Amino acid sequence: MKSLHKILYVEDEPGIQTVAKLALEMVGKFTVKLCSSGEEALSEVAGFAPDMILLDVMMPGMDGPDTLGRLRQIPGFAQVPVAFMTAKIQPHEVEYYKSLGAVDVIAKPFDPMQLSNQVRLIWEKAHA
Amino acid sequence: MLDDAFAAELANLRDAYLGRLPEELSRIIDLARKLEEGDRSVLDELHMSLHKIAGSGGTFGLAELSESARMLEQRCKAFMSGEKDGIPDFLSELSSLQSSLPQSSAPDLPKSEAAEPDAVDERAARLWLVDDDDRSQNELPHLLEQFGYQVKFFRRFVDAESALSQDNPDLLIMGVSFAEEGLDATEEMLRRPVFKMMRCPILFVSDRGDFMTRLRAVRMGAQGFLMKPLDVPRLAEQLEQIFEKRNPASCRVLIVDDDEALSAHYRLVLMAAGMEVDVLNRPEEVIERVYEFHPEIVLMDIHMGHCSGAELAAVIRQHDAWVGLPIVYLSAETDLDEQIRAMGVGADDFLTKPISNAQLVAAVKVRAARAKQLSDLMSKDSMTGLLKHSRIKEELALELSRAQRSGKPMSVVMTDIDHFKKVNDTYGHAVGDRVIRAVAHLLKQRLRKTDIIGRYGGEEFVAVLPECDAETARRIMDDIRERFSQLRFRQDETEFGCTLSAGVACNLESPTADPSELLVSADEALYQAKHGGRNQVRIAHGRPNHGR
Repeated sequence: MKSLHKILYVEDEPGIQTVAKLALEMVGKFTVKLCSSGEEALSEVAGFAPDMILLDVMMPGMDGPDTLGRLRQIPGFAQVPVAFMTAKIQPHEVEYYKSLGAVDVIAKPFDPMQLSNQVRLIWEKAHA
Repeated sequence: MLDDAFAAELANLRDAYLGRLPEELSRIIDLARKLEEGDRSVLDELHMSLHKIAGSGGTFGLAELSESARMLEQRCKAFMSGEKDGIPDFLSELSSLQSSLPQSSAPDLPKSEAAEPDAVDERAARLWLVDDDDRSQNELPHLLEQFGYQVKFFRRFVDAESALSQDNPDLLIMGVSFAEEGLDATEEMLRRPVFKMMRCPILFVSDRGDFMTRLRAVRMGAQGFLMKPLDVPRLAEQLEQIFEKRNPASCRVLIVDDDEALSAHYRLVLMAAGMEVDVLNRPEEVIERVYEFHPEIVLMDIHMGHCSGAELAAVIRQHDAWVGLPIVYLSAETDLDEQIRAMGVGADDFLTKPISNAQLVAAVKVRAARAKQLSDLMSKDSMTGLLKHSRIKEELALELSRAQRSGKPMSVVMTDIDHFKKVNDTYGHAVGDRVIRAVAHLLKQRLRKTDIIGRYGGEEFVAVLPECDAETARRIMDDIRERFSQLRFRQDETEFGCTLSAGVACNLESPTADPSELLVSADEALYQAKHGGRNQVRIAHGRPNHGR
């Protein structure tokens, strides 16, 4: 299995951006590219070539599901594992995200100490 | 160690988050008010804002806030799908959410606003006192409050035990009768789980002071031991020592290194150890940064882009003010000659990379502590820990020019203990010294961190109070005067009290006065206070008339 290095992380809220990026970099030792909107993610993704993408669901403008749909159309990114990060984690909501092609959902609020582990598990699951 | 560094960053982020929250909630409440007035166009934004708090609060340790925001978000959703009832309730729940916000551990307020001249900054240390002695109960809490401590009294062990299971004080004072059975009972008590888990220091107050009793107290974890009847100023002195040891002032470290990633790493490691750290990646800005940040120690790489660490150290040393600043090279240099050459130009020490996090912290701590000790020795009065005569005058000149530039008020206070000679003559110098230290403690406790306090002469003190007008300074000093007059000092079987007088001079009263004229004015006001019957505070009006 390929190992996980580069994560593209899409989130519009500054406080959460910082803490998640820090958690992924310091605890998980990942390289993290931060995007504040779906639009930005679409324009950055090819240049950064992430191994995995974390997407916030509710964002102004293009939301998480929209962004995922558009990402899948970019050549080379149809298979990149994507996980949603959201506070909406009712079972039917989780099912809906998975039906869109997400590997899994990380519940918000997340524990910064555990976030990297969660991401790694999802990565392993995507390659199982 | 990495976890510590991460935890430190998290704590910073949490504080920043907490700092933003009140404003964010006010904004949300404004939106909800518009909704109540019938403006449904705000619903989307309201929903989104609550959703964000629901998703973020828990990450910063505010799980309850997340949960409440989540419920409100759901209510908001119901409004979006046509529900019209319950908006007033919704609004009042939002308001109560706002009032239940926790305080950030380090509010990020500008200094001038955070430090209200009337307020003693920092939270008062909480002391719990366990004692079955009536006298303790009646007197001690009140007297200790004079020194700015918050005191809670427990008559019985069991009450303290149950309180400890909920909350911990900053210090526990155990004042039990140390008759043999009392001692046994205390030991038995301290073995119980809540006491074992307790993380605050314990100080013992006993009616016996023999060696065995003291030894047993030490074995029970006592950090201090005092005999009854209690001399409160002496107790306050011990308390101050214990708290100082526990909370050493944080140390300011400046890291100069052109390697951004590495310096960021050092910064995290040192911050996690409680230090204040600033990083400079562009060596050419070193002088400005040193002046702004006032580091207590500089760590620098020996090889940087266009100048070497040795050159940079030499540039720092050209400034008189920074001749004593410890400069430590942090470099992969292992060549001894190179190290010696580098040290020849003004640096003090060498740390060799790679260095483990623990080594780095220990090395910086030790060096900074030593430098601080040295500079304290040079600038502070050994008996009171206040600034020496010459330093307080320098500080006054600095603050006065700052106040003149900003147009803000600034007051100088001169204080003197009344009839001090009589204390010395009657009770001896040792007791006199204790009285002096009591004034010093009171001044330190009651004035702000930003105020500058010095021992001006034998029993004379000067305080410089930035951003404080004459009337406020008078009020603060009057409060200190009142508290001091209530203190009781003991010598053998006798008990006595002392008073103090003070004179206040403010720069606004005489805008053209220079530092020495301001001091003379304060001194003249002090003279009037003495002349007017002592135990009072007077304000100087106008320029000094040098009439004294």
